[in-house]
Amino acid sequence: MNSEKITKGALFIASLVIVLVTGGMVLSLVGGTVPVFSKFGINFLFSSDWNPTEGREEYGALSFIVGTVLTSVLALIICLPLAFSTSLFIGEYYRGKRISKIIGTLVDLLAGVPSIVYGLWGFYVLRPFIVDLGLSSQGFGIFTSGLILAIMIIPYATSITSEIITLVPNDLKEAAYSLGATRLEVIFYVIVPNARSGIVASYILAFGRALGETMAVTMLIGNSNKIPGGLFDTGNTMASVIANQFGEADGLKLSALIAIGLLLFVITGIINALGKFIIKKLS
Amino acid sequence: MKKLVLLFVLAIGIASCQNSSNKNEGESKSTEQISITAAGATFPLPFYNMVFKNYTSESGVLLTYGGIGSGGGIRSLGDRVVDFGATDAYLNDSQIAELPAEIVHIPTCIGAVVIAYNLPDVPELKLSDKLLELIFMGKITHWNDPQISALNPGVKFPDMEITFVHRSDGSGTTYIFSDYMSKVSTLWEAEVGRGKSLNWPVGMGAKGNPGVAGTIKQTEGSIGYIGSEFAFAQKIDFALVQNSSGNFIKPTIESISASAQGDIPDDTRVMLTNSSDPNAYPISGFTWLILYKEQSYDGRSEKQALETLKFLNWIVDKDAQAVAQQVHYAPLPSKAVEKAKNILESVTFDGKSLLK
Amino acid sequence: MNDILKKGKFKREEKNPRMVKNKLFHRLVIFLSIITISPILLIISKLFIKGFRQINLSFFTETAPDTFMAMTAVNNGEIIPGGILNGITGTLFMVIMAAIIAIPLGILIGVYLYENPGRVYANIIRDIADILQGVPSIVLGLISYIWIVKNVTSGYSALAGSVSLSIMMLPLILRSTEETLKMIPTSLKEAAVALGVPYHKILLRVLIPTGFSGLLTGILLAISRVIGETAPLMLTALGSSVVNYQIDKPTSAVPLLIWEFYNDPNMVDLIWSSSLFLMGFVLTLNLISKKIASTRNAF
Repeated sequence: MNSEKITKGALFIASLVIVLVTGGMVLSLVGGTVPVFSKFGINFLFSSDWNPTEGREEYGALSFIVGTVLTSVLALIICLPLAFSTSLFIGEYYRGKRISKIIGTLVDLLAGVPSIVYGLWGFYVLRPFIVDLGLSSQGFGIFTSGLILAIMIIPYATSITSEIITLVPNDLKEAAYSLGATRLEVIFYVIVPNARSGIVASYILAFGRALGETMAVTMLIGNSNKIPGGLFDTGNTMASVIANQFGEADGLKLSALIAIGLLLFVITGIINALGKFIIKKLS
Repeated sequence: MKKLVLLFVLAIGIASCQNSSNKNEGESKSTEQISITAAGATFPLPFYNMVFKNYTSESGVLLTYGGIGSGGGIRSLGDRVVDFGATDAYLNDSQIAELPAEIVHIPTCIGAVVIAYNLPDVPELKLSDKLLELIFMGKITHWNDPQISALNPGVKFPDMEITFVHRSDGSGTTYIFSDYMSKVSTLWEAEVGRGKSLNWPVGMGAKGNPGVAGTIKQTEGSIGYIGSEFAFAQKIDFALVQNSSGNFIKPTIESISASAQGDIPDDTRVMLTNSSDPNAYPISGFTWLILYKEQSYDGRSEKQALETLKFLNWIVDKDAQAVAQQVHYAPLPSKAVEKAKNILESVTFDGKSLLK
Repeated sequence: MNDILKKGKFKREEKNPRMVKNKLFHRLVIFLSIITISPILLIISKLFIKGFRQINLSFFTETAPDTFMAMTAVNNGEIIPGGILNGITGTLFMVIMAAIIAIPLGILIGVYLYENPGRVYANIIRDIADILQGVPSIVLGLISYIWIVKNVTSGYSALAGSVSLSIMMLPLILRSTEETLKMIPTSLKEAAVALGVPYHKILLRVLIPTGFSGLLTGILLAISRVIGETAPLMLTALGSSVVNYQIDKPTSAVPLLIWEFYNDPNMVDLIWSSSLFLMGFVLTLNLISKKIASTRNAF
């Protein structure tokens, strides 16, 4: 049918847009990375030397790669149980009830807090809290940043997951109940398998959000351009160093920052692929 | 509920119409409102926001400024998406060569970098250049070190570790600070150098003046450097620094202005740190606006160029400079104003000077 | 026989490990949910305590004050005059433009992925969207600077700002659309096909309305995400001291104002009230959309 072809064509063209945009982004950035790669070569990826002083510049992205991976993975680990529980609360246990709507709205509000406010709140509230707990002497570091990131990404995981959970067909659940399953069993043997794709997608989106967060992390991570020695040590992330240095950068340094930006594409892709692979293997 | 939202949106709509018409009252002279866009340094941001707003309401020319950093300002000018840029460190010849055409620097005010500290029982702290080197390079680690006490007789220092807070983001404040340190300490010059961001030997980084100020306020025993207008406005304790004549100088508008009493080159590109003036606060510096010498480029209209120059002429003049003092920046000395005006007269459109 | 029945009943009600686990899990879910919402309660209360004083009518109707007005006010212990009108209008302007670009595009692509589940090309698109989600907003701002500021508007502009925001919104809308549609029972679609409904009508009249709530969730998340973003707007919209509705001129936005307030020693107090505004806006959007979703209750 003609209208079908037209509609399908329109959908296809729409899909092309995202390919073109992303491809265009990579192309626009690649040129900017030439200076730093021609000077340092592939070593740029494996060196943690970072000296931005004009005249004695040394650039290596390793410290930031490590910092990014550590903070984001930590954020995801903290976020997982919290977001999943809350999704179950909203989407299953108290579905449709008033308390769900309130909790749901509160969680959605987390997504509306500007990242600079997260940074400030983290600086004035979270940081002294960590210091008081004795976990760190000055409160900056991987752990604090990971924690604030976890809070920031919870709404992404929760919203989508709870929505997906409510869409699981009732007859599947009723069938399980009629066989004598407990609620817990219905959740893990019916709902989760059925909604698995959506749940995974929501966590991937949440994780992506963590990888790309700049402001909040930059205010809490301590900004030391070295590989962190431990969970409570300071470090830096790729997004944070870009945000910090971009305003003042030119020449070789700008090239290094653009290269780090492109690297983030790559790292995101690798970790996402890894995650999807692990999940496939686990089922 | 829906009605409330509608009412709210309506109210904002009406308010914004009123507001834009209020702004338009001033420029009934020209049919087309000229707007000038600039971007760059954050060091003078409060001053620029203030005077730009004043100029807009006075002249009707809409001025927009974005404090995106000196690098951003230079880049924006190079990409020709702004009328002029703002930078805390002047461009050297090789940096100018990277731009599409020749540029000129116009200084607008003088700011200083103060050494802030958090020691509740120490109301006044005197520091020499040697002490600054030792503390900031981590050679002195505790406040009750005899070298500090030697310079501050009678003051009781706690046996506390010194926590040094520096900037994590690139900034002109860091540049001025490191320029001073490089001039007074050969060790610093060799191991750290001067730049908008550095490879710091010790200390932790905080983002922006507010980050450093906030961290110092929260951490007892900490010491760091901040932009003067920030320190003055936030009432933070800062140290007296010994200048090249041996005097311990408190950063004030007068002592900051004194740092510009020396010779100023015709193109105004000079660092004011470590001035030889006996009353000068040694960690001070100009901040500049940069624009193209030849204003006819990219389809720019002569009117646009003229308005740009009129504004720049205004900002180095008495009225704007008086504002600088109100917001804790030091105004330009008359020598600098003269040089700036000369430079502005040399700016051309199609080869012809615009301001003469 | 009685014995067996008795035994079974006894087990099911009290000592059955499955029941114990069930109850424990329920308690755990409640506990963790409470932990999850505690940060937002803490943050909101902090914003309220610090920012409430600053909110009055002029907050919504006047443009941002300058540093001197703020300084005198702070020194006198008064409320800082002025408001954030230029930011409010700028944010609304740019977010609406970004939504106009991103929502149709995102839904269309999401539908495309849903309709072509196994194909390699579709998988690539999905992966690209997931990667795009991880790009820092400042990089997207840089891209929009290169594409729009330099080449289209020859200057900082609201359009550039909207473009960078729309790229940020895309992955969220796209993916939540796809995942929502996947949850709709195929029987619904099959029934429509069997009735001879044309393809585009199936999309517009059956699938999208059914999944409306899920689509709305993605859109809301996307809007919430971009409304508080500063970095990309610094490189694209730049800011403005006045209200601006021209698409090719620089524009302010609430997060930009927050950044300016943060960096100005006299205007720091305004951060909290401005943030409260953003959160109030997100809350309003949330409530409105939940109302819309519930009236369109699908199944």
